Amino acid sequence: MRSVWLGRAALLVFTLALLYPLAGLFAPVGAWQWDGGVHGSTAAAVRVSLSLTGLAMLIDIVVGTPVALYLARHAGRDRMVWEAAILVSILMPPLALGILLSLAFGPQNSFGAWLLRLGVLTSNSALAFTATQVYVSIGYYIVAARAALAAVPFDLERIAALLGLDPWQVFRRVTFPLARLGLAAAFSLAWVRALGEFGAVLVTAYYPSGMPVQIWVNLQDAGMPAVMPLLVIFILTALPLPWVFHLLAQTRSANA
Amino acid sequence: MLEARIVKRRRPFAVEVELRLERGGRLGLFGASGAGKSTVLSCIAGLEQPDEGEVRFGGQRLYPPNLPLHRRPLAYLTQNDLLFPHLTVGENVCFGLGNGDREAAQAWVGELSERLGLAALWNERAREVSGGQARRVALARMLARRPPLVLLDEPFGALDLPTLNDLADAILQWQRKLGFTMVAVDHRAEILGRLCEQGAVIESGHIIQQGAWPDLVRSPATELTARLLGA
Repeated sequence: MRSVWLGRAALLVFTLALLYPLAGLFAPVGAWQWDGGVHGSTAAAVRVSLSLTGLAMLIDIVVGTPVALYLARHAGRDRMVWEAAILVSILMPPLALGILLSLAFGPQNSFGAWLLRLGVLTSNSALAFTATQVYVSIGYYIVAARAALAAVPFDLERIAALLGLDPWQVFRRVTFPLARLGLAAAFSLAWVRALGEFGAVLVTAYYPSGMPVQIWVNLQDAGMPAVMPLLVIFILTALPLPWVFHLLAQTRSANA
Repeated sequence: MLEARIVKRRRPFAVEVELRLERGGRLGLFGASGAGKSTVLSCIAGLEQPDEGEVRFGGQRLYPPNLPLHRRPLAYLTQNDLLFPHLTVGENVCFGLGNGDREAAQAWVGELSERLGLAALWNERAREVSGGQARRVALARMLARRPPLVLLDEPFGALDLPTLNDLADAILQWQRKLGFTMVAVDHRAEILGRLCEQGAVIESGHIIQQGAWPDLVRSPATELTARLLGA
């Protein structure tokens, strides 16, 4: 009994230490300034982050889910090669990735110059912003989605197929419902990763500024009072989605 | 007619089998565990691909090329029940019926449910039913589509004797009613003797004896078969 209480006390201390940084929200930094001196900049940053991160997530799901399904269902040696390649995008330091993206797609090389001739702006554009977010997040989505899809028994899918369902129907009626919480967790992970990306986006898409870059600009130009409002919005948009999915997953495993 | 010539190379021996079964026939594949019975059934079902051979049913070629699982005119009852855990018992039973089929199949599904005692469980989550109940649900789900070819892989697992007898009676009753062709696999002779009129004995991947089931029991070809048959 005593050890239980000791364990709880230790966990309480750990949790308090973990959450302590949130106390910074109540720090006396002066009156909050909503736009950091530039009218409408906070709203624009929120709009850019939410809309373009949403688009990046759509691409992550549409491209990443079939890749994750392939990796979950194939045991061959080639799977290890694909997984190793995907890990590169996860393990790459964000700033390094941003610089590499900028060099690889920038107008200074022939591919970037060709895209520019077609009217495709590969830096400081919505396209650059979205592409960078996809690069930094899709690896996380695929790895987590692969784990969720691999947990669905393959035999169940084959039984469904023998009951007359084509591959898309099997995915819709069996694979997806059984993997949905894991897929939601994968989505949350990718969402947080993309929304919070700073280093890579700073290099490829300083404009249009998303929330992380705008927070940095506000910090440089106007100090903490201009950072705080955007910081609160940033936390509120990043946190709830993964948090809810995590709680749902916990509830489900407790009921199983 | 079911015609299957299957060569499947695997360890420790290759499975090489040739089968012919008239439409509406009932064949029991008998042999020790690991003799290759389930491999034959899997190849007919399309879950495994033969290395060589040909599988035809009712004039339709199932292999080669490998016909996709969802286009195969067959139903397969696996050793494990494999119900869809996120669905209710009723949804599992009707799983293979298209929206258009459901109304037409209502009376038939009702008959299956009544005979197998599923009505009281209809709205239960499949993950919550017992092993014996799950077997009944899997059987009803398999038959709901009125398949012309039924494959049974150790269909009664570890069920108790009364349940086993009840399910065997139900299968025979519906086989007579629907006239489906049936291939059953088991290592227990009494189960196959009950379900099938014909038998084939597999040892180390080869059929060593086939014929009417009573003849197999009367005069087993090898000592191993005699021992397994309890003759």
